[in-house]
Amino acid sequence: MAAFKIKKKRLKELIDSLTKEYRVFIPVESDGVSSFKEVTSDSHLPTINSHNTDRPPKEIFFPQTETLFTYKEGKISPPEQPNTKYRTPNTDKIAIFGASPCDVKSFSLLDRLFGMERNVAKCSGYKDAYWINRRTNALIFTIGCNYPLSTCFCNWLNGGPFTKEGSDLLLTDIGEDFLVEPCSQNGEEFIKTKGLPIQKAAKVDIKRASTVRKEAESTLSEPVDITSLKEGLDTLWDNPVWNEIAYKCLSCAACSYLCPTCYCFDIQDERAGNARGKRIRVWDSCMFSLFTKEASGHNPRPSSKERMRQRIMHKFNYFVENLGDFGCVGCGRCIRSCPVNMDIREVINTIKNVKLTISNEK
Amino acid sequence: MNKSNEENPFVPEPARIVRKYDLSDDVRFFQIRFVDMEKALSMRYLPGQFMMLSIAGAGEAPFSISSTPSRPGLLEFCVREVGEVTRALFRLKENSIVGIRGPYGNGFPLDKIKGNNLIIVVGGLGAAPLRSLLLYALDNRDNFGNVYLLHGARTPSDMLFKEEFLELKERDDLQCLLSVDKDPTGDWPCYVAKVTKLFKYVKNVNVAKTYAAVCGPPVMYKFVIEKLVKLGIPKHQILMTLERRMKCGIGKCGHCVVGHTYTCIDGPVFTYWDVTNMRELI
Repeated sequence: MAAFKIKKKRLKELIDSLTKEYRVFIPVESDGVSSFKEVTSDSHLPTINSHNTDRPPKEIFFPQTETLFTYKEGKISPPEQPNTKYRTPNTDKIAIFGASPCDVKSFSLLDRLFGMERNVAKCSGYKDAYWINRRTNALIFTIGCNYPLSTCFCNWLNGGPFTKEGSDLLLTDIGEDFLVEPCSQNGEEFIKTKGLPIQKAAKVDIKRASTVRKEAESTLSEPVDITSLKEGLDTLWDNPVWNEIAYKCLSCAACSYLCPTCYCFDIQDERAGNARGKRIRVWDSCMFSLFTKEASGHNPRPSSKERMRQRIMHKFNYFVENLGDFGCVGCGRCIRSCPVNMDIREVINTIKNVKLTISNEK
Repeated sequence: MNKSNEENPFVPEPARIVRKYDLSDDVRFFQIRFVDMEKALSMRYLPGQFMMLSIAGAGEAPFSISSTPSRPGLLEFCVREVGEVTRALFRLKENSIVGIRGPYGNGFPLDKIKGNNLIIVVGGLGAAPLRSLLLYALDNRDNFGNVYLLHGARTPSDMLFKEEFLELKERDDLQCLLSVDKDPTGDWPCYVAKVTKLFKYVKNVNVAKTYAAVCGPPVMYKFVIEKLVKLGIPKHQILMTLERRMKCGIGKCGHCVVGHTYTCIDGPVFTYWDVTNMRELI
């Protein structure tokens, strides 16, 4: 596939041209927190950190709070519905510029759950119109991570600082330029757009990119082999190791709110007067005890031990069973955000070691 | 385009409360019909499935369907007043409009049960989903072998569908065994015993050709299943319908997951074989 390059100085031109056709989201730092924001007329250039943002771009396709529909005097209207009651908002196309490879991979994983046509695994037969409407025709510009963080472990999960899964175009920072590689049909199409501030890459640019990648990969720690983690977890349900893992967990749910692959949500009604209001969905987390508490008072996961087990099992066992891959991309945000320094890599190692002890005993 | 892609499964359809009355102190019976008459008559469902019922402003909750698909048009629910949605529902008068969507869940495997004996074991509010199966079996009586109803309630006044089930005792094609734990007024015409004591009246059944369906409070399952296993009914022929906190009903929101299954789409009907092989199910 042909490679191209763009001068960093000319990024603004590229983004400006994108805004003609797309709602464009870029990484921006504000109050010391990096997250994705929509480009408005007065917004600045993307903050390129060479590693993933503090908040994942998941919220672009799956907002933390989303209106499912509004109601008024008993009449139900999904938001901004032009023709039929089945339209959901945002038929505008979305472009994301500057997402990290791990986060882009998470889009592909969630596509399977929400039932995107091109990536249907087990999605229960129900498609999520809200996710699909935003994801359809979205254009993803990924920027590889020249400087992965010490908490990054994408290389444990078939990922890496420059992997392409889910990307339309992959950009590599090679100094004054970005090397630009289209990696999907949409990406190929886009690169043909007239008047883009790009040029063909020279051999030396491609070589430079390859050096940058090797350097970045070498800064990651040696990957731990987790190929048999799912099977290992199958045997660990009753193991006391869950007490050990969960004892310091505060059930604050920071890990799941910042996780690019956590998708659990709650559905609530918000009243705006007697006969008016809206039904919203909001992010929820299996780390909260109310998550499973039934109206009768019965709670199948009453303590943090069961809830921690659920989160780990979901990511490394159930997700594989249902959707064909681990529900983790190794972004390391849960490690960075945990107030009691829980490290999911240590959890994985602990689990692996338990399994070893058992097989040694046999 | 695929129909399910065009539709937005989160949006409920308007439905009318046609009739309501109290079944006990805190459980009320509701007959509900889609406002769209065509939809009301064409909706197909299975006993054991549930619907999401919503009251604008209060929210949405799952309820087992208590009516039988063999009597189309009206959907029936028994609801215990216990949370915000049910409190709002209890305030509604007949003719009020609510939202419903569904049916959801796997329901009872009628294809497998047909041609076999059927033992239905009810405890308390477990009557909600099992009444649907019972009425279905009685409406299609020739498709089933012997049918038993083993019903337990705390007291006669806690028993749901009391008159309806007492009338069933007149039928000679149903073994209708009704019991209460306590009979404070002394005028209960049937058994005063735990529901497990009723198994002694289930005699000479060909267990290989028998299905059992159980629903009741969590504490009941262990003892009832012990009896069914002792009777010799194979694990995969013991069916139970389970409860979980649910929000979406369509296998997305994650609230009702048990292992890699979702109670809302892979359940709520599970077999005892499932239960012994999946932790946390009951």
